[in-house]
Amino acid sequence: MGTDDVPLDDKAKRMRDLLSSFYSPDPSSTPNAPSKHGTLDAINTTSFDPDQYMNLLVQKSNLEALLKRHVEMAAEIKNLDTDLQMLVYENYNKFISATDSIKRMKSNIVGMEANMGQLLDKIMSVQSRSDGVNTSLFEKREHIEKLHRTRNLLRKVQFIYDLPARLGKCIKSEAYADAVKFYTGAMPIFKAYGDSSFQDCKRASEDAVAIIVKNLQGKLFSDSESIQARAEAAVLLKQLDFPVDNLQAKLLEKLEQSLWDLQLKTDEIENVSMDSNDPSKQGKVSDLSPTTAHEASVREFAEAIRAYRIIFPDSGRQLITLAQDLVINHFETTEQYVKRRISSANLLGVLRTIWADVLLMDEVLHEAVLPDFSLEAAQGAVKKYVASTFTYLLQDISDVLLRVNVSPKEAAEEHPLQVALEASRKAVLQGSMDVLLDFCQFLDDDLGLLVKLRDFIIDWVQEGFQGFLSALDDRFLLLSGRKNSSSPDQGLTEGAHSEKVLAGLVLVLAQLSIFIEQTVIPRITEEIAASFSGGGARGIENGPAFVPGEICRIFRSAGEKLLHHYVNMRTQRVSALLRKRFSTPNWVKHKEPREVHMFVDLFLQELKAIGIEVKQILPQGLLRKHWRSDSNGSTTSSRSNPLRDDKMSRSNTQRARSQLLETHLAKLFKQKVEIFTKVEYTQESVVTTIVKLCLKSLQEFVRLQTFNRSGFQQIQLDIQFLRTPLKEIVEDEAVIDFLLDEVIVAASERCLDPTPLEPPILDRLIQAKLAKLKEQNPITP
Amino acid sequence: MQGGSSGIGYGLKYQARCISDVKADTDHTSFITGTLSLREENEVHLIRLSSGGTELICEGLFSHPNEIWDLSSCPFDQRIFSTVFSTGESYGAAIWQIPELYGQLNSPQLERIASLDAHVGKINCVLWWPSGRHDKLISIDDENLFLWSLDCSKKAAQVQSKESSGMLHYLSGGAWDPHDVNAVAATCESSVQFWDLRTMKKTSAIERAHIRNANYDMKKKHILVTAEDESGIHIWDLRKPKIPVKELPGHTHWTWAVTCNPEYDGLILSAGTDSTVNLWLAPISAGDEPNSEGIAESPTQQADPLLNSYSDYEDSVYGLAWSSREPWIFASLSYDGRVVVESIKPFLSRK
Repeated sequence: MGTDDVPLDDKAKRMRDLLSSFYSPDPSSTPNAPSKHGTLDAINTTSFDPDQYMNLLVQKSNLEALLKRHVEMAAEIKNLDTDLQMLVYENYNKFISATDSIKRMKSNIVGMEANMGQLLDKIMSVQSRSDGVNTSLFEKREHIEKLHRTRNLLRKVQFIYDLPARLGKCIKSEAYADAVKFYTGAMPIFKAYGDSSFQDCKRASEDAVAIIVKNLQGKLFSDSESIQARAEAAVLLKQLDFPVDNLQAKLLEKLEQSLWDLQLKTDEIENVSMDSNDPSKQGKVSDLSPTTAHEASVREFAEAIRAYRIIFPDSGRQLITLAQDLVINHFETTEQYVKRRISSANLLGVLRTIWADVLLMDEVLHEAVLPDFSLEAAQGAVKKYVASTFTYLLQDISDVLLRVNVSPKEAAEEHPLQVALEASRKAVLQGSMDVLLDFCQFLDDDLGLLVKLRDFIIDWVQEGFQGFLSALDDRFLLLSGRKNSSSPDQGLTEGAHSEKVLAGLVLVLAQLSIFIEQTVIPRITEEIAASFSGGGARGIENGPAFVPGEICRIFRSAGEKLLHHYVNMRTQRVSALLRKRFSTPNWVKHKEPREVHMFVDLFLQELKAIGIEVKQILPQGLLRKHWRSDSNGSTTSSRSNPLRDDKMSRSNTQRARSQLLETHLAKLFKQKVEIFTKVEYTQESVVTTIVKLCLKSLQEFVRLQTFNRSGFQQIQLDIQFLRTPLKEIVEDEAVIDFLLDEVIVAASERCLDPTPLEPPILDRLIQAKLAKLKEQNPITP
Repeated sequence: MQGGSSGIGYGLKYQARCISDVKADTDHTSFITGTLSLREENEVHLIRLSSGGTELICEGLFSHPNEIWDLSSCPFDQRIFSTVFSTGESYGAAIWQIPELYGQLNSPQLERIASLDAHVGKINCVLWWPSGRHDKLISIDDENLFLWSLDCSKKAAQVQSKESSGMLHYLSGGAWDPHDVNAVAATCESSVQFWDLRTMKKTSAIERAHIRNANYDMKKKHILVTAEDESGIHIWDLRKPKIPVKELPGHTHWTWAVTCNPEYDGLILSAGTDSTVNLWLAPISAGDEPNSEGIAESPTQQADPLLNSYSDYEDSVYGLAWSSREPWIFASLSYDGRVVVESIKPFLSRK
């Protein structure tokens, strides 16, 4: 009540408060609690203390205010009285009307009891009547019910007796569904009474059902029936409690069998494509008919699977395995296929067929995730294909190179090495390009399978090239016989020919390495950049799979190694010659020289052979003239002069001594002759290097011997004879002169009596030798 | 090429082929070398490295009757050494003793302790057992291997046993296994033969043509390093004589001599007729023994085994010797008679 905060004038508010306190049963709950002491408003509270109020009023107010207050209060009291009267009056009115109502109710209720009694009576009589009717009708109703039951029973019996015939009819009309419904309906009865009353009936109907089952099975297995029908048959069979699992297994078996048929067909395709050697036909034409046949059979298989799924809805897993088996088988065959040598068109054909199969199967059997599954398998197959392609390429190249190994013996061709180099160059370049082109087909193809594998293929191809080129480098080293000493396994397999590796082959390999570095690798890099960029299935941290820089470096060093190896091999042959020459005779008891020794001929022959090989393989050097005029020219005079000047001197020891001194002095002042310079890929450089090494060996061999005068003179003669032909074939005459002089110096140092031959005798002997040579071989100058 | 200016030079009067470390001299780093001159009076030089290591001092100069083809110092007596010499027509070998008071004598004469004169053919070398006092000597000529028993006090050497190398095997040199007093490797034209001195029989062989020089690893058993004319340096594990454990490219021309450092593992010196001495680092670890292919395949992963090439020579280098007292020092001798002593200390830190 007090919560009502509507602003009222003071008087009205107090009124309401007063009234509410009047009606309120608990005076303490009034909002104007006794807290307001000492104020003039406390007059309205329950704890109003008149004395205090008065005191307060008297104390606080002056007379005038008191008087005013008095007047106000008097008016207030009067108002309150009026209000009170009004209230009492209103309430009294209400009370009177209530009393009136009660009086009226009392008078109305009096007649009701009699009416109720009447009602009770009537209800009682109705009940008794209905009881009467009930008893009179009871018997008849019992009878009717009995009759009804009998009729039902009779109907059932009739049904049972009719069942065989009905089933027969159903069989005739192939309404197996009805038949099964009837039979299953009759089943409980047969179960209950089958052994006694309905024996015949049961047997007959069971026979009929057996026929039905047979028919249904037939239907299930016959491919000519519609799937719907077959599915129904399966359902019916299941309803007949026939062991469906057995059937399912059988059907699955059948599917598996058809799977093998399918597999066989894949083989056939490959066989066909293998058989037709014509490459144009291989991929396209001849594949066509078997492909369509194959497709049809796959379609059939897919249909069968679809049917099977409908027939046996719970057989998903088995089918998935089946389908995956198919894919696995496909790819196994493919991998077998890949092992043989095929073009990517062939592989593409196979993959396309497989993918078509997979897509067909996928439609039917989506849960098997066949595309993903086959993607994985295809990944393996394609990877293997890439690997095997590179292996074949490697094999091709080494075959070409090995042919070199054989053919020069026959010497049918004029320039066997040149031919070999050209052939191997072609093999490498063309082979690589073909391989790239081949792989391009993969990328260009829009087959879904390959599109997904694109990145992988790019990486594989790049990796493949990297691996292939390093393998090629290894193979080169192996072919050159450099490795057979350090790698026993390869040595065993390749041992047969690595024993007698031809120097020419090594030279071919060296030049081929350079060719690869300078031509093939840029081409490959270009091609890869053009069609195999991207990839990125490898992590970024691994970098690109194909690193041309590294390969270039490998081949550059391989080329150098091989060139050195060639030089070495050739030098070794000459060394063997020289070794024999110097270890055989007793130089201390040598007889006077009569002619130029034949080792010179052999040596020159070797050099000629080298020249022939080198001319076929290596380019001519451009720096020839420039080289010759280089600083080494001065050495010729400083080294060779002392010897010639001293020819006439007779005091041996004295002469020898001064000679040694002079050589020392000459060495002090001359520039150090660069005997061992870097070998370059030119005819001249290689020949010069070999000649230089041989002459150095000659010098070393001479140093190990002790000569008498004749021995020394023999050496002098031989060397003098060598001078002219050697200068003709080398690019740096000064060095050759120097080295030849060194040999003579070495011989004179190792001579007990170093008296050189007189120049006229020397000349005569040389001329004789030249004449002899001319006689033997008129063509040789 | 790095210049060889760091080396300390010493000139012999004539050409020379052989230099040897005086192992028994534990107070000084000294080498002994002899000249090879057919027509002059040959000399033996005893050279000592000054204490500061900056100079080579001639400690003794002795005349030797013939040109010296091989010279080796006795490993247990610094005054004794052996030479193989030639008159031009015939060969001889002898054990010499440096006279005790040689410093005071005007022109001291070498004292010939013994002549190993049982040889007929061309003598190649005389071997001392490198690992210590052993009263046996081996001398090898073209066809025979002699085992001598040497008695220095009695000044006598007697042939204890002798064996022919067999038909068509011309021996060219040899090395005595420092780990086994009974094992000797002898090089011949087509192989390295291994002899057992107790039975004087060949035990095994490495089939390899043109081996010029062989040297046992002083530290590791079964390791032999060979130098071949054209095909560089090979390191062999004698238990696996078919395939070399390692291959080093060697020299531009022939690799003449090769020697393993007596102290530091895998340090090998080689001298060649291309007038260079190469210092190699080729440690043989158990792991990479069969993996010699790895070098060829991944050159980037393997450090270059060539540590340094000393090329400041005028002529072919035939003589090469590590100092056993200061194993970071070696002496090399080129044909023109120049001894160069180098220190490899700058390269040791790289190991």
